[in-house]
Amino acid sequence: MIEITDVTVKYGGVVALDSVSLKIAEDVVGLIGPNGAGKTTLTNAFSGFAPVTDGSIVVNGTNLFDLAPHKRTRWGLARSFQKVQIVPDLTVEEHLKAVLDGKGIGKAQRVGAISKALDFVGIGDIRLKQGRALNPYQRRMTEIAKCLIGGPRVVLLDEPGGGLSEAEMQHLRDIIRGIHPEFGAQILLVDHDVDLIRDVCAATAVLDFGKLIAFGPTEEVLADEVVKTAYLGR
Amino acid sequence: MDPLQKTSTWIGVALLALTVLILPMVLGALWIKVLTSAAIFALAASGVALVYAQLGLINLAQIALIGVGGWIALRLNYATDLPVTLLVIIAGGLTGVIGALFALPALRMRGLYLALVTLMVAALAQIFFNAFQFPNGGEGFWGVAQKSADAVRRPGFAQSDTAYFRYVMIALGVAFMLIGLHKSSAPGRAWAMIRQSEANAMAAGINVTFFKLWAFALSGFLAGTSGALLAGALGQLDARSFLAGEGILLFALAVVGGVFSWLGAIVAGLLYKLLPAIFNDLGLSADIAMIIFGAALMHAIMTAPEGIAGQIMGAFKKGGSDD
Repeated sequence: MIEITDVTVKYGGVVALDSVSLKIAEDVVGLIGPNGAGKTTLTNAFSGFAPVTDGSIVVNGTNLFDLAPHKRTRWGLARSFQKVQIVPDLTVEEHLKAVLDGKGIGKAQRVGAISKALDFVGIGDIRLKQGRALNPYQRRMTEIAKCLIGGPRVVLLDEPGGGLSEAEMQHLRDIIRGIHPEFGAQILLVDHDVDLIRDVCAATAVLDFGKLIAFGPTEEVLADEVVKTAYLGR
Repeated sequence: MDPLQKTSTWIGVALLALTVLILPMVLGALWIKVLTSAAIFALAASGVALVYAQLGLINLAQIALIGVGGWIALRLNYATDLPVTLLVIIAGGLTGVIGALFALPALRMRGLYLALVTLMVAALAQIFFNAFQFPNGGEGFWGVAQKSADAVRRPGFAQSDTAYFRYVMIALGVAFMLIGLHKSSAPGRAWAMIRQSEANAMAAGINVTFFKLWAFALSGFLAGTSGALLAGALGQLDARSFLAGEGILLFALAVVGGVFSWLGAIVAGLLYKLLPAIFNDLGLSADIAMIIFGAALMHAIMTAPEGIAGQIMGAFKKGGSDD
C-alpha cells in the first residue's frame, strides 16, 4: 500500500507538484500525463531528488521522507531512469553487485540473486559484458534487473519503453507483469505509451500541470473526457 | 578481472621482482637514491590518480599531505620507539583522516572550484611547514632545534640505501595491491556509479558522501605513507620541498603518466624525480624537465587521455574488443 499525501514540490517559483494525494493498493499502477505534468517529479520525490516542501509518501507504514535517498534504496525502493544509467566500465553483473553492496547481502546469496534477476529479464548470458558494449535493449534490461535485485518493495519505472522495438516492447510487457508475482514489489509505471499502460496497469493516475486530475481503473481513466482533453489532446 | 587487467597485474609483479632484485646490483648509490625518491612520489601520485580517475575530482593538495605524513612520522620517530613500519602505517592512517577532514567541506564542489580549494589547503600547509619546520630531534611538541638533525630510524632490515630502496618498492607494490583491491570490490563499484551520476548512485543505495570521503582518505593514506617513507629516505625533511606549486606539478604528472593504472603512477614518479636527475647528470639544467613536462601535459590532454601508461597498455591490447 502506497499512500501519497499532499506532496508538494517547488522549483523556485514553479509548483511542479501541487498537493498530490493518492492511495495505491494495486500491484501495477500507471502514471501518465502530458510533458511537464510532474510525472518524473513524482518519481524524484519518491527517490529524494526533488525539493519536497510538504506532504508524505508512506509505504506499508514507512514514511520515505524520513530516510536519506540511499537508505530508501536499501529499504526497498528501486527505480529506473528515463535516461538509462549504465556505467561504461562496469559489467552487467557489477551493476547488480553495486546495488547488493549497499544492501549488505552476503556472498552466499549474491550469486543466486543475480542469476534470478538477470534470467528474469532474459540477459543471463551477458552478465560479464561491459556497459559500453551493451545495445540499447540490453542497457534497458540491465537497468530493470538492477531494480529487481535485493528484495525491492516498490519499483518505479520511468519510461522503460523508450527506444524499444515492437518485439522488445512485448517482452517488456511480460516482464512488468511478472515483477509482482515473482518479486512481490508494487510497481509504478511512468510512460507516454498509452497502449503499454492499458496492457499492464490495473489502475492509472493522471497528472496535469502538477495536479492529480484522475485516478482509477485504467479503462475508466482512459475513457474519461477530462483526461482525453488534457492528455490525448482533443 | 578482465584479461588485460590480469596481464597488467602479472607485468607489475614481474617488474617489481626485477626492480627489487636486479636494479640494486647494476645501479650506483646515487641512482638508487633517486629511484627511491621516484618510487616514493609514485606512491603519492597513485593517490591523486585514484581520486581523479575514480571520481573525476582534482586534488592539488597531495604534496601538503605528503608533508603532513612526513611531519607525523618524524614526530613519532623522535618521540617513540615504535617499529618503523608501524610508524609509517600510523602516519599514513592519520594523514588519511586529515585528508578526509579537509575533503569534507569540499564535497559539494567539483571541477575548478574543488581544485582551487585544495590549492588553498596546500598553501595553508606551506605556511604551516615554513612556520614550524619539520621535527629534527629538538625538545617540545614541535621538536625543532637549531642543530643538525638526529638520525631518522629505518627498519632494521633496511638500513642501507639499497635495502631501503627494496623496502620502498615493496611498500609501493602493497599500495598498488590495496588500490587494485578497492577498484575490484564494493568501493570501486560505488565510485563507478557515482562517476556515472550521483542520482544514479543514490538510487543504487550508495552512500555518496561516505564513498567520496573514503577515496580522499585512501588517497591521503597513500600520501602520508609516502611522506613517512620520504623522511626515512632523506633523513630529514625541508619545508621548501612542500610548496603548493609542487602539488600542481604532481597532479599534472599523474595525468601525464596516466591515472587509470599503477603504471601511470610509476611514470609520474620517474618524471618527477628521475628525469631532472638525468638532466643534472648530463650537465644540463634540471629546469629543462619543466619544459618537457609542459609539452607532455599538452600531449596528454590532446591525444592521450589515459596518459603514457594508457599508450603502453594499448600496445598490449589486441584488437581492442570489450567482450
